[in-house]
Amino acid sequence: MARQSYPKCAPDFHDKYGNVVLASGTTFCIAIWTYIVTQVEIEWNLSPVGRVTPKEWRGQ
Amino acid sequence: MLSRAAWSSVLRRGGLAARGTHSPGGTARGQGKMTPYTDYFAQRSYPMPEEPFCTELSAEQRALKEKEKGSWTQLSHAEKVALYRLQYHETFAEMNRRSSEWKTVVGCVFFFIGFTALLVWWQRVYVFPEKPVTLTDEWKARQLQRILDMKGNPVQGLASRWDYEKKEWRK
Repeated sequence: MARQSYPKCAPDFHDKYGNVVLASGTTFCIAIWTYIVTQVEIEWNLSPVGRVTPKEWRGQ
Repeated sequence: MLSRAAWSSVLRRGGLAARGTHSPGGTARGQGKMTPYTDYFAQRSYPMPEEPFCTELSAEQRALKEKEKGSWTQLSHAEKVALYRLQYHETFAEMNRRSSEWKTVVGCVFFFIGFTALLVWWQRVYVFPEKPVTLTDEWKARQLQRILDMKGNPVQGLASRWDYEKKEWRK
């Protein structure tokens, strides 16, 4: 079936700003969460395996 | 659940203005039309609403509607298209076109997830108590050595991951 060309409707809000909203929202989310997870001192209590070097505990 | 057709007539009679239904095709409505005839009801699954799209016709359009009552072979192509546009707002291709709405939605979702990070930060600053001594790095290192000395979970757990000969974590 031949596809007829038709005039596209005027671009709506999503056509105009959709890409901007998507990019900025994603960037903001990634940036702020990276900052929170790494810089703000929150104890995540990750596994010591491969990360922590044990230290002698006797003879305090 | 009332059928769509019954619901339409109920709303029309009762005059309940259910405005604000999201119409993907934009805000175009039949001129002066009362709900419920909006774009919302022109869907692939409900393609033939009861009323035509345009009810207020100019003289020219009324003449065309009169001509429509005769034989359709006399209508030119342009006239047929004009009659279609009087009856329906959009073609199937137009009504089913993709939109960029998902970008706005996903962008806003990420924005609010990011906003949650700010709440977590505030919480860390103003709500969290002092870090217990058992969670300091010093204490955790000593605790780890103690667990390894006791060989805690030596089969599949923590001590199994430690190489006691080389005194390092197994690769």
